[in-house]
Amino acid sequence: MIEEPYRWVEAISNRREYIEGQLASGSPIAALGYRDGILFLTLGQTRQKLFEIYDRIAMGAIGHPGDIERLRMAAIELASTEGFTRSSADVSLRRLVHYSLSPVMKNAFEQVYGPPYLARMLFAEVGSRPENDLFLRVEYDGEIATNGATYARARQDFAVLGGTRESSELMEAFLKTEHKPDSSFDAAVKSALDAWSVGHMLLQGNTDGKQLPMRDVITQHRREQLAIAAIEAAVLERDGNTTIRYRSLADKELRSLISD
Amino acid sequence: MGTKTRRWRWPALARHFAARYEGSLKKNAQGGSQPIEALSPAHGSVMDRSPLGFDQTFSGAADDFPSLLRRKGLLGPAGIGAVTQTETRQQMWQPTEATTILAFKFSGGVLVAGDRRATAGNTVVYDRADKVLEIDRCSIMAIAGVPATAWEMARVLEHSLQYFRRTQLQEMSVDGKVRALSKLLRDNFGFAMQGMGVVVPIFATYDGNSKPEARLYFYDAMGAQFEATDYAATGSGSPAVRGILYYENNWGAKRLHEFNEEEAISLALRALDTAAESDTATAGVDRTGKIYPVIKIVSRAGIITFPENKIAAVFKQMVA
Repeated sequence: MIEEPYRWVEAISNRREYIEGQLASGSPIAALGYRDGILFLTLGQTRQKLFEIYDRIAMGAIGHPGDIERLRMAAIELASTEGFTRSSADVSLRRLVHYSLSPVMKNAFEQVYGPPYLARMLFAEVGSRPENDLFLRVEYDGEIATNGATYARARQDFAVLGGTRESSELMEAFLKTEHKPDSSFDAAVKSALDAWSVGHMLLQGNTDGKQLPMRDVITQHRREQLAIAAIEAAVLERDGNTTIRYRSLADKELRSLISD
Repeated sequence: MGTKTRRWRWPALARHFAARYEGSLKKNAQGGSQPIEALSPAHGSVMDRSPLGFDQTFSGAADDFPSLLRRKGLLGPAGIGAVTQTETRQQMWQPTEATTILAFKFSGGVLVAGDRRATAGNTVVYDRADKVLEIDRCSIMAIAGVPATAWEMARVLEHSLQYFRRTQLQEMSVDGKVRALSKLLRDNFGFAMQGMGVVVPIFATYDGNSKPEARLYFYDAMGAQFEATDYAATGSGSPAVRGILYYENNWGAKRLHEFNEEEAISLALRALDTAAESDTATAGVDRTGKIYPVIKIVSRAGIITFPENKIAAVFKQMVA
């Protein structure tokens, strides 16, 4: 089946299709930089999807729990040993993802006789100022997307993780108009919830993905979903007085902020 | 026939990919930027294990942080060292030592204090040593003994607790924390027997679970843990300190656990100053250099470190 190059290409593309299908139903995750830190937010019923990796690094993931767990463990191991042998300041998300995780995931994906990682991850590292925040999205094939400026677009202070490419793109389009980098915590929570709703609506087929749904439709969807699902959220605080910046937020704490 | 060929070709292809992958890695490694760990060992530990091997350890239950470090060759082996020491060697080389720490329970939690002196034999090495170390949001480890070992031990402990929380997604219990320190002491016992690296710590933490209260433990060099009901002191100046704390607790105006914050600070200062009076390895309060002991409190609110000016004010008002 894979003796010849074109067979290999075919195997890879089958595998891509399979993984995309598996990941498509994942509940989206939004990560937004705000004045005092970075907010991670998603809605869900059962599994924990947001995790602390190191002092200033957090992760959100969609995929198979077993694969997420292996990748999460590997990331924590690498960050912890680096932080122990050198210092907390030497643990960098850029190096962790570019040199350790991405090659491993690419390798697993392309070895068509072995299992790939059924996971897509979103990492964030909080900086001393909002412009130093780093967001990295790692795909199952090791592909990396960042929030940094490229020739095609300006730097973004947010990142999203959706089950499908379309839902991610729609959420990004929403946050581009909606989210201000210097916003307050309350505003960030609202934007994140709305962005999640936009991504989730597309997954459910309630919108076509060509253009953003209307404001009141988003609010309506959000209200319906909040009634049946729990909010899972965490922040990486910008406050430089503590070393550990990760704090998970209780569902109740956030619901009191949502007025409409 | 066909299947047979296939079977032969698969490993060949695997090798081909492996080689390609290795090659690209090497190229990356030489590319100027440094990977988060020397790349080959990092990959060794992440990828070389088969998925099955991964599964056996990934729960982390069997793999605590010190053993992770040992697996990566970042921490010395545990166990009792076999090196025999000679009398002359001990006379030739004196390790730096830190001295006299105390802790007692008062109305606002547990107060932990330590003087600032580090000595090697009869030489004062350092007069601003910090022997009262924060391990996590609600735990303090105070050390008497060789700082080289003790600070490393504190570092391992601090990372162990965080590693546990991050991997297991829950806080380690108080008993687990107390035991983790005990295990580090036992691992170090070989060095302690050789006369270098003796560490005798005090551990104070807030137990929010079963019966919420601040707890206090002290250890011996071998790792035995003792929970203190009222107070603990270790280090060369500790006999004097224990005398004072025992006296205050039994025949003083009131029991230690009834002391308010200022009374507790002043008692800690008086006790350390008394220890310094007879023990040259303890600094007490340096009146000329204006160097004060480090004093921290563990309570429900977490850890409070008293700023030097507050300690100075209490010292001026109630001690000097």
